[in-house]
Amino acid sequence: MTQKTAWTVILAWALVFAVYRFALAIDPNQLVEDSFNYVRGKSSVSEVIMTIHRPDWQRKMTIKAWTRGQKDSLFYIDAPPKDRGNGTLKKGREMWIYNPKINRVIKVPPSMMSQSWMGSDFSNNDLSKSDSLLTDYTHTLIATETHDGKRVYVIKSMPKPDAPVVWGMQRLKIREDLIWLSQEFFDEDLQPVKAMTTLEIQMLGGKLFPKVWRMSKVDQQGNYTQLNYTALVFTSSLPDSLFTLTTLRKPLR
Amino acid sequence: MYLQLAWRNIWRNTRRTTVILVAVIIGIWSMILLGALMRGIAAGMIKNGISTLTGHLQIHHIGYRDDPAIETSMANPQMIENALTLVLPIESMWATRVRVNAVASNARHSSGVTLVGIDPLSEARVSFIGKAISKGRYLEQSDPNGILVGAALLDKFETKLGRKLVLMSQNTSGEIASRAFHIVGIFNAEMQATEKQFVFVTRPASQQMLNLGHGISEISVILPEKTDISAIISALKDALPQDQYEVHSWRELLPFQTAYLRILDGFIWIWYLVVFVAMGFGIVNTTLMAVFERMREFGLLKALGMNPWWILRAVLTESFLLLFSGMIIGNILAFLSIYLLSGIGIDLSAMAAGAEYAGMSRIIYPAIEFKDIMMANSIVMLLGLLVSAYPATKAARFMPVKALAHT
Repeated sequence: MTQKTAWTVILAWALVFAVYRFALAIDPNQLVEDSFNYVRGKSSVSEVIMTIHRPDWQRKMTIKAWTRGQKDSLFYIDAPPKDRGNGTLKKGREMWIYNPKINRVIKVPPSMMSQSWMGSDFSNNDLSKSDSLLTDYTHTLIATETHDGKRVYVIKSMPKPDAPVVWGMQRLKIREDLIWLSQEFFDEDLQPVKAMTTLEIQMLGGKLFPKVWRMSKVDQQGNYTQLNYTALVFTSSLPDSLFTLTTLRKPLR
Repeated sequence: MYLQLAWRNIWRNTRRTTVILVAVIIGIWSMILLGALMRGIAAGMIKNGISTLTGHLQIHHIGYRDDPAIETSMANPQMIENALTLVLPIESMWATRVRVNAVASNARHSSGVTLVGIDPLSEARVSFIGKAISKGRYLEQSDPNGILVGAALLDKFETKLGRKLVLMSQNTSGEIASRAFHIVGIFNAEMQATEKQFVFVTRPASQQMLNLGHGISEISVILPEKTDISAIISALKDALPQDQYEVHSWRELLPFQTAYLRILDGFIWIWYLVVFVAMGFGIVNTTLMAVFERMREFGLLKALGMNPWWILRAVLTESFLLLFSGMIIGNILAFLSIYLLSGIGIDLSAMAAGAEYAGMSRIIYPAIEFKDIMMANSIVMLLGLLVSAYPATKAARFMPVKALAHT
């Protein structure tokens, strides 16, 4: 063995070891929270085209969305004209919906929480409990993969014993630059129920961000709901007055 | 001698008499048996209703029955329980409950249910749940996350023992409360609707989940048998502050069953009449035939100077004997079939869904009521005699000359 190859081997081993150490050093809880915050930003204003796809039909809606921190958000439907003005306000774990046709704000009762939001594959719970991933689960790193030359952490998230969540497990794939690649939901038998995947990662709102988010149910192939960001701006803050019932009622935007 | 004559007269035409006797027997038998079955259905419905979380009487906060929400709960159950101890007879039992509408969900399914927070020990004595566990175990006094789920709900949710069920409801401050429970037991109920509707957790767990403190939604009371419920209710109303609590008997709590009980009497009457009309035509026909056959005989009796009333009496006695013997055999048969059925009951499990639609239990046990039997027998006897009065008067009115000339 020549000295050169020996050095290469040592170097390679050192590299592997370093990577291994680095992988171990990753705190999965921190990683999930960081990437959650990366996606949400401090506050964001965005415009999304939501496509609800079924085997025999599909429809599109344009949604304007404001989010602040981990908990507050406001959605407003801009198109098609039929649905224009419908709004959803989420503060903490509570949600209100506004329907311009009856000019009423309805607080989403527990009974409607597991129903779908605006006919999509997202449920009201997916929206209102979005931060549940941070509070109700313990995360462990189970593997690392490489996608497009970047390291991807595969994280197994198990619900805390008495956490009020219906899932038996979630599996997240998070790229090393905190970009969310997929989120899969499993039942208690660890059978997959639905999955969210992201596509077309590109510069959006001043940072790398997946442009397309797709939620699909595992046992209903051909049904999916896709969110396509057409505009995204991250800001440092949004006023308190935005996340109120008054704003929800007023289609000022 | 008089009865003997009538008895022999009946059997002058054996075949005809047997046919009409069989008609009377079947009529009586079906009247009593069907009456008993209908009473049995009613008794089953009421027993079922009372044990399905109703009890003989219930105490609620005013307005709970109109709007069974968390806001209309009773904040201070201790005071009511004190009053109960004073007023109720010594062997009465009661259970305190939290009862709110909630949504149960797991990864694949969700459905509206009624969340019932119970005291496992006292509840077992008051309602069906204590004896209804078919798999797993009953709740224990300290079971912060245990939940009992009906077999039908379990199927619907495609889940099993030990799995998690998340319940969501509104708490006292109007916010969404959710809590995860683990299925510790599966219960079977008379009706699938009950299995699908109710889930049971311990009272402290539900109070904690809903921020209720010590508050409860209802108290359900089972009284010893043959207690005057209305007297107890008025005593309880006096003992409790009228502007806060209301007391209802099961008759008010189960309006459907109460209405059914009322309709039932009418049903039984109508059934009796239908059977009788069919039977009555048979009786008239037979007696009329018998009378016309014996026209010369009656004419001769009259020619010899017999009082027409006696002829009337003779014909009526004949139909009385016919009816009476039919009644005896019919009653014996009816009691025999009821006795046989009361052991096993009529099992409607095969068509449980249909039976449930009518709110009936899966197995019907016939129930005899003295009133019904008296009514059936007296209807047959009185109306039977009444309809045979027609051929009897015919016989009494025969003109001797015409009758004797009749060939």
